[in-house]
Amino acid sequence: MRSRTAPWVLLAPFLVVFIGTMIVPIFMAIGYSFTSVTRSGLLGEGGLTNSFAWFDNYVAALTNANFVASIGRMILFGIVQVTVMIVAATVLALLLESASAKWPGFFRATYFLPYGIPGVIATILWSFLYIPGLSPIVDVLGAVGINIDFLGPNMVLWSIANIVTWTYTGYNMLIIIAQLKSIPGELYEAAKLDGASSLRVARSIQLPLIRPALMLTVIFSIIGTLQLFAEPRLLQTMSAGITSEYTPNMSAYAFAFQYNDIGMAAAQSVIIAVAAFLLSAIALGVSNWMEKRG
Amino acid sequence: MSTTDNATTTTERSKPLGNAAKAAQGDGRAGNRDAGRKPTTTILVTAILAIVALYFLVPVYWVVINATKSTEDLFATSGFWFGENFQLWENIKAVLSANGGIFPRWGLNSMLYSGVGSLLATYFSVAAGYALAKYRFRGRKLVYGLVLGGVLVPGTAVALPLFFMFSSIGITNTYWAVLIPSLVSPFGLFLASIYAGAAVPDELLEAGRIDGVGELGLFHRLALPQLTPAIVTILLFQFVAIWNNYMLPLVMLADEKLYPITLGLDNWRAQTDRLPEFYQLTTTGALLSVIPLAILILVLQRFWRGGLTEGSVKG
Amino acid sequence: MKSYTRRAALAATGAAGMGAALAACAPPNPGNVNAEAAIPPSDGPVTVSYWAWLKDLQKVADVFNASQDRITVETTWIPGGNSGGYAKILSAVAAGGGPDIAQVELRQVPEFALAGAIVDLTRYGFAEQADAYDPGALAQVKVGDSYWAVPQDTGPVATFYNREVLEDELGLKPPATWDEFRETAAAVSEAGKNLISLDPSDGSHPIAWAMQSGAVWFRPEGDGWIIDMTDDASIRMAEFWDGILADKIIGTGYGSYTTPWYAAAGDGTVLASISGSWSDALNETVPGGSGKWAVAPMPRWDDGYASGGHGGSSAAVLSTSKHPVEALEFLTWMCTDPAGIDAMIEFSGIGWSPAKDYIGEIRQQPSEFFSGQNYNEEIIVPMAEGQNLDWTWAPMMQRAQAIIGDGMTKAVSGEVPLVDMFANSQKEIVKIMRDMGLDAEEAR
Repeated sequence: MRSRTAPWVLLAPFLVVFIGTMIVPIFMAIGYSFTSVTRSGLLGEGGLTNSFAWFDNYVAALTNANFVASIGRMILFGIVQVTVMIVAATVLALLLESASAKWPGFFRATYFLPYGIPGVIATILWSFLYIPGLSPIVDVLGAVGINIDFLGPNMVLWSIANIVTWTYTGYNMLIIIAQLKSIPGELYEAAKLDGASSLRVARSIQLPLIRPALMLTVIFSIIGTLQLFAEPRLLQTMSAGITSEYTPNMSAYAFAFQYNDIGMAAAQSVIIAVAAFLLSAIALGVSNWMEKRG
Repeated sequence: MSTTDNATTTTERSKPLGNAAKAAQGDGRAGNRDAGRKPTTTILVTAILAIVALYFLVPVYWVVINATKSTEDLFATSGFWFGENFQLWENIKAVLSANGGIFPRWGLNSMLYSGVGSLLATYFSVAAGYALAKYRFRGRKLVYGLVLGGVLVPGTAVALPLFFMFSSIGITNTYWAVLIPSLVSPFGLFLASIYAGAAVPDELLEAGRIDGVGELGLFHRLALPQLTPAIVTILLFQFVAIWNNYMLPLVMLADEKLYPITLGLDNWRAQTDRLPEFYQLTTTGALLSVIPLAILILVLQRFWRGGLTEGSVKG
Repeated sequence: MKSYTRRAALAATGAAGMGAALAACAPPNPGNVNAEAAIPPSDGPVTVSYWAWLKDLQKVADVFNASQDRITVETTWIPGGNSGGYAKILSAVAAGGGPDIAQVELRQVPEFALAGAIVDLTRYGFAEQADAYDPGALAQVKVGDSYWAVPQDTGPVATFYNREVLEDELGLKPPATWDEFRETAAAVSEAGKNLISLDPSDGSHPIAWAMQSGAVWFRPEGDGWIIDMTDDASIRMAEFWDGILADKIIGTGYGSYTTPWYAAAGDGTVLASISGSWSDALNETVPGGSGKWAVAPMPRWDDGYASGGHGGSSAAVLSTSKHPVEALEFLTWMCTDPAGIDAMIEFSGIGWSPAKDYIGEIRQQPSEFFSGQNYNEEIIVPMAEGQNLDWTWAPMMQRAQAIIGDGMTKAVSGEVPLVDMFANSQKEIVKIMRDMGLDAEEAR
């Protein structure tokens, strides 16, 4: 008896909250996404009726140029930003673990510090470094003849990428360092006896063995990218380049709370979730394939 | 937990005194192979790391410097150095008293959401993770699958339906609206179950059962102490996740008095367009809100590493 | 005890699942406050709350609070509408809370009505006081037969120009007609300057031009909407601007009153802005511009209207308000009583007065900045009187304006001319309105 009831007792609090705040809302979102409304009267003052809409909202979402553009923007953002961040985190981790550096503890703490700064506050801080007139960086660059408008329509995506990279590089670096520390010392000894250079050690011992950690960081970063919301939303008031539908998440938010189109907002949310799921699965698949091949 | 031990050693290594010698002796495996490193390599690598460190510190440096300035100096003097007047204390006083002392209230709200939320979320997820790791029962796979799905669904995708759900039971714009969704940490469940699988020996539980300890007693008295490193990691992870959350409170809360510090500061920042004095309030407010988390992060850094290793090695 | 807990847990899980199944059917409907009985006036003293992004609005409210002792108005600053203010208001209302009154831009009023977020003011006798308001302001809060908000300020379009450079230096005059505008813009362009500079992504300008030309893009008919963006009035305007853009005789790099515009206006390389009357206050911060600038009417067509509407906002009573009567009483004071108008001008720097015969005391004097011209009475008053009163805002203006802005951007780059853009936008807007569950069709 004991082993049949005990696990459920232990699971119960978690499951109740988990089902109530995640599973139920997901099903609600799916339900909403198949619904459309009909309003009677000029502004729906005669009441409104819901009806089953099949895949209308999904078709509308995927043919909505702004929404598709926002997904494309996030893919571009993800490819560039996630790559830069993971490469930077890996290089920093290898350098810190190479024992060639002085004060590694200080550097590690410094790089990790931004993780403790909420995205909202990080964005506020960086935005002050982007605004002409307030930013010393813009002043310094201007003094040497470089005029960059960090908040300009073409530049602002990379200004956001900078904020995200700044916040999460150190965190990802710590995951990789942890993995590096678990590499058995004998491997290094063997490499040393073979006279391998440290570059070679990095390439043939360290990088293959930290692949699981890299995968983990890549997947979390992909999910993070698709969720991008706070940073662009805060910069929206300062940059003409950011519209209300700049990222998929902002788009869903706008449809829900500004455009009165809940069915569409739900369909977009579901698409974001499915996309995150698919991208993560693809990333895992690629990783497994490479492992087999390697 | 070799990783945690290792971390302690490396943290001590950060003292510059005798660093080179220590590194050469090797505090870990990585150190040994570099015993014969040339000093030029050390200088080069350290220089690269220092430049990178500058990048990470610039915004923090900026906020520290500029929180000491008056609004005019904020715009009129170089952002990289102090202004004419040093008025940090006046600025802090202004932040703490603005809008009838709303800023300290935001801070307390954040503490409440993050503190209570992360404590309960940790307890829930550790109990559930332990159950999944240490019992074989029907439905176990299903629960795992469900939770895995939950991890992959972006949290923001559920915010909208959650809002309608909460508004139909009338708890939007209350503390509950932010607190309840913060009580769940699927990531914590995974971490706890992996950790429990490795750190809580079955023999220990069997011995407890023979001594007549109940199943809940086994968890609370025998398993929990073994799980301490995982608990600390989950606690920190969830604390930071709740502290950083923006969309959930944005969607749920209308009353400024219930805001966490992030939303409150955003509200101040939004007013800078029309009222430049809010630049100074926002800057000093940002400084005040960065300090506690920065300390937390730096002091407890090693726990992150311990727990995260478990998550990535076996996950 | 354990099995009880388990059952409880299973029951809770089951109940949650059941809730999911039921709730999954459809999103919740907004309540229909306008079908319920009107709320009677309160007996005792009441407090009315007001969310707005006007600056120092509390000082305006304080004038009212001091004038009587039944109603106390408390204001709260919120971010500008599309910077988060609207989402904040709408989610507060959806959650059953929120203030009694909220600031809503004129063009957004129908969108709020559609969301079920505001009270139809005709139910509280607003139609009887309609005479006290400027008809041009009133027309913008009316959809069908209902008034949905109290107009708070408006933006009749006029030409704000650098008299010294345009007249004294180049020997030109502010254009009175659009044909003259084209000649003048070409001459200014010849001289290496720009008459005006537009931000193409800002859709509010083409809308104002269409209003002035006599178009009615969104026309309520019965219970449905007719979307008509390809009538003669719209097409002549589209062809005209296609010509201007093809000739490249105006600037298209930045909009009026942006940082680069101020720099160019200060240098005398951009000479004018054709925009809402609220431009005056912004214009006065052009460096070294005092005494050199002046105001002229909006260039016009032979027929059509004297001017269009550009910006402006209203104060709407929210559907969750417990005191709509008192809220409306305050708003009537603020938006029609000379004391209210003067306070709004002095403290909050509002645009054009929404009251019928009162433009505000300080606006009756000549302006030093604008070359000693008494421009408010001489120019803006006729602009405010010459508005297109048939124009109605549709319940999706935020998106419509973005569509027009995107279209302008493409027209500037030469991809799609405005003439085609309007036809495309018409289709797109009809589709969006149908997706919103409204009855909409293209004009034939």
